[in-house]
Amino acid sequence: MAESVNSVIQATADHLAQYAPFDQMEREHLLWMAQKLTLGYFAKGEVILSPEQTENVRFFVIKQGVVQGDQGVSQTTEESTWLELHEGECFPLGALLASRPVTSTYRANSDVFCYVLPAEDFLQLTRLSEAFYDFCTRRIANLLEQSQHIIQAGYSKASAEQQSMRSNLSAIIRREPVSCSPASSIREALQMMQDHGVGAMIAVENGIPQGILTLHDVLSRVALAEIDLARPVIDIMSTNLTTLPPHAPAHEAALAMAKEGIRHVLVTDNRRLVGVVSEKDLFSLRRVGLSQISTTIRHAKTLASLKQSARDIQQLARNMLAQGVAAEQLTQIITTLNDLLTTRIIELELHDSPAQDIDFCWLALGSEGRFEQTLNTDQDNGIIFALKENEDPATLRDVLLPFAKRINLALAECGFPLCGGDVMASNPKWCLSLQEWQNTFDNWIYHGAPMDLLHSTIFFDFRPLYGAAHLGTKLREWLQTAAPKNSRFLHQLAVNALRNRPPLGMVRDFVTGKDHTIDLKMNGITPFVDAARIYSLAIGGSQTNTLQRLREIAAPLNISVRDIEAYCEAFLFIQLLRLRLHHAQNEKGETLSNRVDPDTLNNLDRRILKEAFRQARKLQTKLGLDYQV
Amino acid sequence: MSWLERLFGNKVELTPQQAQRLAAWQSLPTPPQGLPMNECRFVVVDVESSGLNLSKDRLIAIGAVAVTNGEVQLNDSFEIVLQQARVSEKENILIHGIGGAAQREGVLPADALLTFLEYLGKDPLIAFHVAFDESMISRAMKTFLGLNFRHAWADLAYVAPALYPQLARQLRSLDDWMGVFKISNYARHNALADALATAELLLALRQKLASRGMTSFPGLKALERERRRQMQTL
Repeated sequence: MAESVNSVIQATADHLAQYAPFDQMEREHLLWMAQKLTLGYFAKGEVILSPEQTENVRFFVIKQGVVQGDQGVSQTTEESTWLELHEGECFPLGALLASRPVTSTYRANSDVFCYVLPAEDFLQLTRLSEAFYDFCTRRIANLLEQSQHIIQAGYSKASAEQQSMRSNLSAIIRREPVSCSPASSIREALQMMQDHGVGAMIAVENGIPQGILTLHDVLSRVALAEIDLARPVIDIMSTNLTTLPPHAPAHEAALAMAKEGIRHVLVTDNRRLVGVVSEKDLFSLRRVGLSQISTTIRHAKTLASLKQSARDIQQLARNMLAQGVAAEQLTQIITTLNDLLTTRIIELELHDSPAQDIDFCWLALGSEGRFEQTLNTDQDNGIIFALKENEDPATLRDVLLPFAKRINLALAECGFPLCGGDVMASNPKWCLSLQEWQNTFDNWIYHGAPMDLLHSTIFFDFRPLYGAAHLGTKLREWLQTAAPKNSRFLHQLAVNALRNRPPLGMVRDFVTGKDHTIDLKMNGITPFVDAARIYSLAIGGSQTNTLQRLREIAAPLNISVRDIEAYCEAFLFIQLLRLRLHHAQNEKGETLSNRVDPDTLNNLDRRILKEAFRQARKLQTKLGLDYQV
Repeated sequence: MSWLERLFGNKVELTPQQAQRLAAWQSLPTPPQGLPMNECRFVVVDVESSGLNLSKDRLIAIGAVAVTNGEVQLNDSFEIVLQQARVSEKENILIHGIGGAAQREGVLPADALLTFLEYLGKDPLIAFHVAFDESMISRAMKTFLGLNFRHAWADLAYVAPALYPQLARQLRSLDDWMGVFKISNYARHNALADALATAELLLALRQKLASRGMTSFPGLKALERERRRQMQTL
């Protein structure tokens, strides 16, 4: 087949193969596709495809030039361009899959050459090529997966592995070696392995290792050999031992394992056994484990040890990032551990404090309230307290404020910078009784002044973190009934949210500032967070997490699950980019920032980011329509 | 070829089968002239030869793509290497990249040309600098098929400057014009790749052609004549 294909077809297939999803497709299918293609030209400004075209909608792949898509419905928004496609990108997908006209007008934004595939061939291709079908139906998810592979490959090579591989074996050894005497019976040895949960048993005489038996050996040397379990264990042990000194770097152990095909290396100091390093120890990057950190925090007695735990949390986050743990889990884990840390700080401060006698609840606000903390998070917190009969809130505040101040300072020492806007529990404005909070919220909803709107974007994401959770729950329940009633307030929130546009460009992919960067938080995360909050308030939702809010609004607002998932994926991708950015900045010892130069991203990430911004734009368009902005 | 043959016209020996193929092509009806580009088929062609001497050098390869209804049909494309008795010079091979073995293993010239005619049908031909491609192809047709190949040709090297007179002063070669429209070429000096680039140039000129009502073949010819007249007066 390939031989009968001329150089134009070959070259076309080669060209396509430079871009996703064609790079994932079988050569045979690409050649098939290339033979069905025509090549068309569109002068700048010419319409390529529009909603008016109801028949013969074809599939376009941009060979050269820039195509711009305008939302079909005429809208009052100042900026209707919401999509820009470049070389290697294709359109439309949804319209072709559903055999319907497109909803946008696609127009050439420069001289454009497009490969064109008739609809029936497009559909045939989705049947022929699994990779292509996958791409068409799971566009973002698919690109994300690829990106994730690249991240994992990159990181495991670069930072994390190197880091653990450079450390000394003495730092890797986690426990005293489990050993027995060479004369112990096989049964005794196996029982000890079972009891201690180890994969290897070392026979030691006068501290000097004589032989090793691993779980792996048990199958062939014990079970299949049907050996008498009463015999001395040394009889079936390997006595050709691989040992390394404690100061040897981890990678030497890895090398030895690879060379000898073994899973355990003995660490000896002056011939005496000091530890065993297993393959698992070396390759599990989760050396600072989740349970280990949380146990340490729970039992911490001093701020100093909590500070160490805070650093461990950062390290864990970096390791997990390196392992390619998804952004959703990662931010949740960071938040969970930070919650634990905050809880412990409060517990320590509460000891001997008169605040003990007050029924209060520590509130997490902002990103912490949404379970979306990254490595770069300011403090946002408040206190809600209960009043007993005839109690003056000011009196309780006098007790709580100094207590809150100490907590804020302790958190700052643990690496959560004090909030620049003073949104902290030590601020008398944010240390209120349940009734006071309700009055404050009520005021914001009623007046909707610019500052009120700004505050509601931080405070309405509150959740109880420590103490009398029922107070937080009551406040939430109150908000769930109060917010949906005031549509003017929601409208104002929407107006505010839509001031912040994803930076999709007309000429280039992205609109960047003077420093050629885009702000991932401001322009990428915030549109999703804002829209999710507004919709959640509108339906009287109880969630604070953006993803959960989005999932929660789907049914009441009749948004398709597909759309919701696309929003979530887009949100998570931007979040992931942010985490990776922070990680890289951390490694270089730079101050953490959310600004990224799109030119420093790889092709794939750049494309996904664009797609993610497009989803943000789409969600905003919906918000604009729903609230008539 | 002896001087006698050259004097009295070439008597070419074709096999019955070849003669039949040639006759079949000759009897094809000529498609209606004057249809706009969006409703007919043009064949855009480019050749590679053993050199630039129109009377001495030999035709080595033909590449062609069809522009049908205003779009390049990638699969309606053509590429053939003619078998050479004598392999061309090394310097020449370096230009088009068709090596000695490929030249010797090419298709017998008569068969290659017949295949080209069958691909072409009676649709008009378009090239950039027609004089060269036309001479090479016509001489080969005469030599190997005994055919007086009088076909309709239009030359984009004249059409493009006629449409963009301001640009014409700086732009001469196909590469210059490709640059204006950012047309890429997957293998410059490969006959088929150059034919594709020329076809893309034709597509890129379409809007301007349409604005002057000249997208039909006669329209292209009119522009070509207009440019030739301008050149003479300059």
